[in-house]
Amino acid sequence: MKAESRLFGNIDIDEEKIITLEGGMIGLPDFQRFALIFDEEKGQKESSIMWFQSMDDPGTAFPVMHPNLVKPDYNPTVNDELLAPLGTLTEENTYVLVTVTATADVKETSVNLKAPIVINTDTRKGCQMIVEDDYPVKYRIYEAVKGRKKEAGES
Amino acid sequence: MLALTRKKGESLVINNNIEVTVLEIRGDQVKIGITAPKEVPVYRKEVYLQIQNENKAALNTETLNTETLEALKGLL
Repeated sequence: MKAESRLFGNIDIDEEKIITLEGGMIGLPDFQRFALIFDEEKGQKESSIMWFQSMDDPGTAFPVMHPNLVKPDYNPTVNDELLAPLGTLTEENTYVLVTVTATADVKETSVNLKAPIVINTDTRKGCQMIVEDDYPVKYRIYEAVKGRKKEAGES
Repeated sequence: MLALTRKKGESLVINNNIEVTVLEIRGDQVKIGITAPKEVPVYRKEVYLQIQNENKAALNTETLNTETLEALKGLL
């Protein structure tokens, strides 16, 4: 499927890789089809920040990442009934992403742990939901990311 | 906006499958009960708006702060 992206220009995504969010992102119900894009040219790994690009609107692209990179014990309680439309979720087919909000000051950059995007990789259906737990909407990640790097002995 | 007056214990039915009941009125606080299909999300509006605003802020990253993002990617 061909689409336009303000960040990546003209993109062509395999139909089976399109992710459908029937309710859209919260506050943006009109855009329901998304693709997960890695910036391979810049040597980006899957373990880094990716883009959740709308197939319907070139300017709608959310930077996203795996929450476990910055919050290894992230384990939100979600309403099973809200996830039912995605199809049967197992440990293997559940893929969770959180949006990244970057500000001019890198130290203020945060992820939204309160409203993860949950995707069933078998059905390619997903939804963004607000979890009941007391997770912050703005969870600052700079220190966590630096700490991880230190642990890995890379600093 | 449709405005309807209800007393304590009275309800509204929306779309055949959602019922909203006034459970308790105390001063300026009203306790509301909602019976809806479980797949219908119900959120407190201030929380919903907070998430909506955060989604907008995340979208702004693309145009405003790609440099910050690159710096973070370097760390990840």
